[in-house]
Parts: sequence; C-alpha cells; structure tokens
Amino acid sequence: MREPMSAEEVLKRLQEALGEALLSHEVREYTMGVRRKRTYQELWIEIDPKAFRRAVEVMFELDYPHLHFITGEDDGGDFLRMVYSFGLFWAVPWGELSVTMRFNLPKDNLVLPTITDMMPGAETNEREIREMLGVEFEGLKNKRHLFLPDDWPEGKYPWRKDEYGVEDMVKHTHKSVNEIRRGE
Amino acid sequence: MAKTQYYVPVGPIHPALKEPIRVEAKVEGERIVDVDVKRGFAHRGIEYMGMKRNAIQTLYLSERICGICSISHPYAFVIGSEKALGIEAPPRAQYIRTIIAELERIHSHILWLGVVAHEMGFDSLLFWTWKGREKVLDILELLTGNRINYSVFMIGGVRRDITESQAKAVRDMINYYRIFTEEMKDVFLADPVYKARTRGVAQLSRDMAKKLNVCGPVARAAGLRMDVRQDTPYDAYADIDVRAIVPQDIVGEARGDAYDITLVRIYEIEQSLDIIEFCLDNMPEGKIMAIPNYVALLAKIRRSEGEGIGMHEAPRGEVIHYFKYGNKRDGPVVWKVIAPSYNNINTWGPLLLGAEVADIPIVVAYIDPCMCCNDRVAVVRDENGRLIDPATLHLKAVEKTRKLREELGVRE
Repeated sequence: MREPMSAEEVLKRLQEALGEALLSHEVREYTMGVRRKRTYQELWIEIDPKAFRRAVEVMFELDYPHLHFITGEDDGGDFLRMVYSFGLFWAVPWGELSVTMRFNLPKDNLVLPTITDMMPGAETNEREIREMLGVEFEGLKNKRHLFLPDDWPEGKYPWRKDEYGVEDMVKHTHKSVNEIRRGE
Repeated sequence: MAKTQYYVPVGPIHPALKEPIRVEAKVEGERIVDVDVKRGFAHRGIEYMGMKRNAIQTLYLSERICGICSISHPYAFVIGSEKALGIEAPPRAQYIRTIIAELERIHSHILWLGVVAHEMGFDSLLFWTWKGREKVLDILELLTGNRINYSVFMIGGVRRDITESQAKAVRDMINYYRIFTEEMKDVFLADPVYKARTRGVAQLSRDMAKKLNVCGPVARAAGLRMDVRQDTPYDAYADIDVRAIVPQDIVGEARGDAYDITLVRIYEIEQSLDIIEFCLDNMPEGKIMAIPNYVALLAKIRRSEGEGIGMHEAPRGEVIHYFKYGNKRDGPVVWKVIAPSYNNINTWGPLLLGAEVADIPIVVAYIDPCMCCNDRVAVVRDENGRLIDPATLHLKAVEKTRKLREELGVRE
C-alpha cells in the first residue's frame, strides 16, 4: 500500500499526463464528525473521451484503484455522458481519495477501450453498461447479457431515452419478446 | 478411459439458493472444470422507477432494494443526496443513524452465520443463532416501529428520536449480545468439525480479491484492510476510530477462506456493540431533522443542481449510490446503485474452478449473496392465500409494536 496523496497531487499527475485533454477539474472537501471535525477530499474531473485510457493508466500507476461504479446518462441528445468513479489509496484511515471522471461520448461512435485487462473485476460493470446503453467495449471478452434475457431484441437499450430506448416496448408489455421481434 | 464431462445446473430455483440465480457447472467426476453464473432473473429496474419519482418517494423505494439490510441503501441514499444538495444532518440525527445501521449489522451477520451453518448441515446451529437474532430485531422494531424496512431515514436527518427508556432497552441488548458473541466464538471458531469443513474452502487470495474488486467482509477476510467506515468516515463514525477487522490481527495470518470470513463477521458483531455503546454514551442533544417540512425539502431539491456519491459500509460490503440532481426536478435525474453482491458474486467463477460439487453451497453462501440487491418485489398473503392490502398490513404492524412495547416495559 502506498502513501496517500492529496487531491492536488493526483490532479497534478493527471494534468502532466493528459495535458489539454483534461478539460476541467474540481476538488471537493467534506467535513465530517460531530465532536471532532476532519475533512476528506474528492476529485471530480472532466476529460476528453480520447484520453480516457491514459487517465485510467495514470491511476493504476499511482495505486491499484478500487472501482466504485461505471454509469452513463442519456438525455436524448447526441452524447452519452459517461461517469467512471475510482477509489485511490483505500485501506488507509481517512485516506481514500475518490476520483470521478466524466466525459461526453458521441452517439455515432459509442466505443470505449475496456479496463478488464487491468482489473478483471470491472467485467460486470462493463457488461451492464453495454446491454443497458449500447456502449461497445473494445477487448471485453465475455459479451453475454448480464441482467437482460438472452433473447432480448437487438438494438434496444433500457437506459436510452432516444429511438433506441424501450418506450415502444413498454406500450406493448402484453406481448412477448418473441412477438415484438417478429414485428407482430 | 476418457473422462466424461457432466453438466450440473444449480438454480434459478434450488433448495440451496434463497433467491433466483443460476450456477452452471461442468463437472468431471466430483471436480468442477467450468462455471458460468447467470443473474437478472428478477430484475425490477428500480433505478429507472426512481428517476421518475420525487426524492422522498425514491428514498423509500431504495429501502425495497434489499430485504435484509434495508437500511444500507437509504443510508447511502441520504449521504449521497446530502453531498449533492449541500444539506447537513443535525448531530443527534447522525448518531441515531449510526446506531440503527450498527444494529442492522448485528442482525445481518447473525443471519449469515445461521445460513452458513444450515448449508453445512448443522441445522441445530441455525435455530440457535436465529433465536439469538430475535433480540436485535425486537430492538429495531422498538426504535423504528418496523421489524424490517424501518422507514426511519430522511434526507437531512431521521424521523424518530431515541428516548431514555429506549436507550435503556438497547443497553440491555448490548449486555445480552456480549455473552452471545462469546458463545458463538466457542460454537463456530473453536469447533473442530466446523474448522475442518471451512478451512481451505473457498480460498480467496489477497491479490485475487483486489483484482476482482470485491468488498466488505469478503475482502477483509482475504486480508485487505478496506472499510468505508474507516476510509471515508461519515456521521458518527468520524468521531470513532473504526478500524477494519482483518484475520491477521486476530490469528496472525489471513487465508481468505470460509473460516476467516466467519471470524471477521463474529468479531465485527463485537465492534458494532462497541460503536452502539459509544453513540449512546455521547449522544448530542438537539433536533433530528435539518428541514422538517417535506414540502420545503422538495422545493429546495427542485432549486438545486449537483452530483454526489454516497457510500455506506453495509453488513455485506460497500453500497454506493451516485446522484445527479437538476433540470428543475424534485427527484434525481441520474441514480445509479451498486450493491456489495454486484462485485462479490464475481468470486464464484474462480473459486468454484477445481472445487468439489459438495463445496458449491459453501462457496455460494460464504459471500452472503443478495440477489435482490442486484435485481424483487414482495407480496404478503393471508392464511387463505389472499393478498393483504397495505392498510391492513400497516394496522397489523402498529398492533404488534404496541404489544412489544408493553412486554419490554417501554411507555413512550
């Protein structure tokens, strides 16, 4: 386990590695405790999607991170807003630094590199995002559905709010998936 | 002679599984050579439902995610929402939250000890541990009015105070469990049969635990000192120096097997008793809600914009809720939930490879899997098989709490 670094130090390392691709950043401090106040920090960054893989590599150079979650938001526009959250320097009292990176992924090119080669445990998260939002992960070995049934219609993603979403399927909930697939 | 491979499907409906999940194992003789785990048999899309409701409705919806640790999800929910909205809960409310969360840890750990004894065939142990668990369930009902799904948390506080006479009942319970934990150490940890059945079974190395991204007692049993209460403390945990309990501190080494995980859980019950005692001794005075008016709270949410991550160390591991508020809505625009079993189920594949068929129940049970955390709906029927409506159920619950208060001699 390495010595914990402050949010500013981690940010400096990310700025050196990513340069222009680090679009904006924010360091948040939360004061906790009633009888004894202490603070811990969180780092929130906004990056260019092309620099995503490099940003994750920087974090693995600093410490083996703990993946908190991967999620995405679709507001019906031209981009998916992806959110990746990692915990660095965990296992140290008051030491964990949560680094959350966000980026807009254009809907005409929904491809991201996988991180399962560095962290095999991220497979569940990536498989869920793949089936729910339609993001393709390059290098992901197991591409089977995680929560959705195997005969789920192709091109339908439950979290999408555009034409690829399930709005029309909700209207036909009395029909079976096979009937919808056959176009009845 | 060439060995023939057989295919053994376990689940989604199977006596060894309490909830639907499917473990497909390929076996050669008694050895498992290939495993595939399928989940999502009862996926309810709760996150999607939550994004269409207001924040208070979503808070109580989040309580329905898990049936056993029903405070874990609301806890992460309120922490995440408070971070996103910039609300701070009053000190007294923070202490009450911690007490309820720790009471729940005691009941969840004892429940698991019973389940794992049952999976190994020690059914008398199951009945003994579950009888011991009733005491903490009674106390939870006394404090909140409900045996399960307590509905006591609120964004910026709690809905019920702990009175003097209730605190006395909690102290009596602590004394009871101090003796009960010592007995459990004897029955589980010192027992040669239990030791023989669990040592070396479901062994997870430290490196593998790290790579599989596991959390909670599973990670701690493998020797990783991770605990949200220690890494990023919140509420009353910030006043108490909570330290992650790892087997190397107790028996000198961490092997990460089913025995170590039993050890971690039993010692964590003791730790919870200490935390509850500290909270009762140092309970601050004052109000219990930051914004007592729900209409004002929802109006504040509608005006706010922000993101926040709430983390809580649930009995099974960390629960993480991510929020985004904005778009002039009084509920979350984005809500993402990660339950501990989401990552911990990843361990089944590597652990079952090379194991024996008889080990499947232990490997499955040892991480304390919660399928409903991942994917559930509960309906209650009366003795004639008819559905009970919410009003009748509420009435029955109120009657039972009154009876319990009379029995325990608590007036208010």
